[in-house]
Amino acid sequence: MKQKDIVIAGYAETPVLYKSGRSAYDFAGEALDSLLERTGIDKDLIDGLSVTTALSEASNPFYAVYMCEALGLTPTWLNLGGMGGCSATGGVARAMSAIRDGSCEIALVLSADAPSTDWRANYGAFRGEFQDPPGVQGPPATFGLLMSRYAHQYDLKPEALGKIAITQREHALHNPNALSKFKKPLSMDDYLASRVIADPLRLLDSVMFCDGANAFLVMSEKRAEQLGLTRVAYPVAYSEVTNVNGNQSTPDITESGFDRIGPALLRKAGLTPSDIRMFQPYDDFTIAVLMQLEAFGFCAKGGASDFVLGTDLSHRGALPLNTGGGQISAGQPGLASGGLNLAEAVRQLFGEGGATQVDDARNALVTGIGVIPYARNWGTSSAMILEA
Amino acid sequence: MDSKPTQRPTPRANAYVDTQPFWDATRDGRLMMQYCTEAQRFQHYPRPVSIFTGRRTLEWRPVKGDGVIYACTVVRIPGPGLDGRLPLCVATVELDEGVRLIANIVDCEPDELAIGKPVHLVWDALSDGQPYPAFALSRD
Repeated sequence: MKQKDIVIAGYAETPVLYKSGRSAYDFAGEALDSLLERTGIDKDLIDGLSVTTALSEASNPFYAVYMCEALGLTPTWLNLGGMGGCSATGGVARAMSAIRDGSCEIALVLSADAPSTDWRANYGAFRGEFQDPPGVQGPPATFGLLMSRYAHQYDLKPEALGKIAITQREHALHNPNALSKFKKPLSMDDYLASRVIADPLRLLDSVMFCDGANAFLVMSEKRAEQLGLTRVAYPVAYSEVTNVNGNQSTPDITESGFDRIGPALLRKAGLTPSDIRMFQPYDDFTIAVLMQLEAFGFCAKGGASDFVLGTDLSHRGALPLNTGGGQISAGQPGLASGGLNLAEAVRQLFGEGGATQVDDARNALVTGIGVIPYARNWGTSSAMILEA
Repeated sequence: MDSKPTQRPTPRANAYVDTQPFWDATRDGRLMMQYCTEAQRFQHYPRPVSIFTGRRTLEWRPVKGDGVIYACTVVRIPGPGLDGRLPLCVATVELDEGVRLIANIVDCEPDELAIGKPVHLVWDALSDGQPYPAFALSRD
């Protein structure tokens, strides 16, 4: 059932930078400083903290506690989010539960990472024996495999992926926090000429690892009113699933967690796909956007290429898509990535979208994706619907 | 990029679960996988429990090594362990026994690689000569 008792009452986001030379802590500090400046609240009112694990600090199992020390926070509720790009929306959802449980009153949901400066993650487990030898170390190879299967089972038009990349790039041109390298328009010719890096995946289908941070302030609607915070967004429905089809050896890998949770999420919010005013999907690769359009029922399974080609996805269109440029065109701040799509949704719901402000921004659908598994779809899928 | 042949060190066996039967069998040219005796199904990669039952109802059994390409890609960008191997044909192979693994397709041109093509087990070698499973297109 839809509940409208908890709000996101503030957000902050640092610019996305490449090889900044700075740490996740430093980016986190910049995000907190900006959040306090924007909301005017006293730092010591923050009594809950959700932190996203950072690639650049992954060697420290006490990262969340260190973060409290770094920021001078004394939370009575602390959560370390280990779902990569799902940790921001997942962190907000967990903070809402903690607030409802009385574990804290005002929670900071913080994601910061600097993998383009310092990569200190080692996934361990089976990878050394079974994934690295055949040369599938990185996400591009995994997504190449996934795309190949999608193209085999369904209709995959390169021009549709190109349109996603071009539309998001257009949006990024107006995003002051987007990586400066991406501040030039893209054409379909640029896209189609883009180098294939893991067939059929092109470079322009892909994100680039960068550095950056984002932060959200979660509290009850009542507390926000007391603090005079009038710009709020209501997270009204959230769902996540990890390791979908995890008890099968030969699942259909084109089925993602979103196929499992998408329709129920919309029902929980009392909405249909045509009610969604903007879609801010996790976009590590363009194919993930395409597959999510189908999973949430914006179009039929296999129909996303035609849907994209026939739909205005710009901020003025029928289904505005990643109006800040998404990660593909703003840059992927490591595992803080999921907060980038969420920050843009909240910005839009606050009416602060600037040149890409969506008209009648009454709701937004935001998603997260976490972790590349072995010979499957992706690891965690999370989705949140927010209302103004 | 350095174009000299890549170093593919032999990974440490038993790093996270017992994988010794897999490595021992490679020396006899046999591919061993975990089999759940209760569900009567294979699983791969090796796990600490059966993904079907959650119990340690597991034993190692050989698979024939015949299958089809379920998904495929050609890795064209440099990365750790990839020097001298690009373009690299990679596939998720679905074996006749109903289990998948990620493997290289050797002696295969990128434009020959396609989903649905039958493949069979061959043995590639890591840097120190350690046999490692790969597949080749079954022609005819």
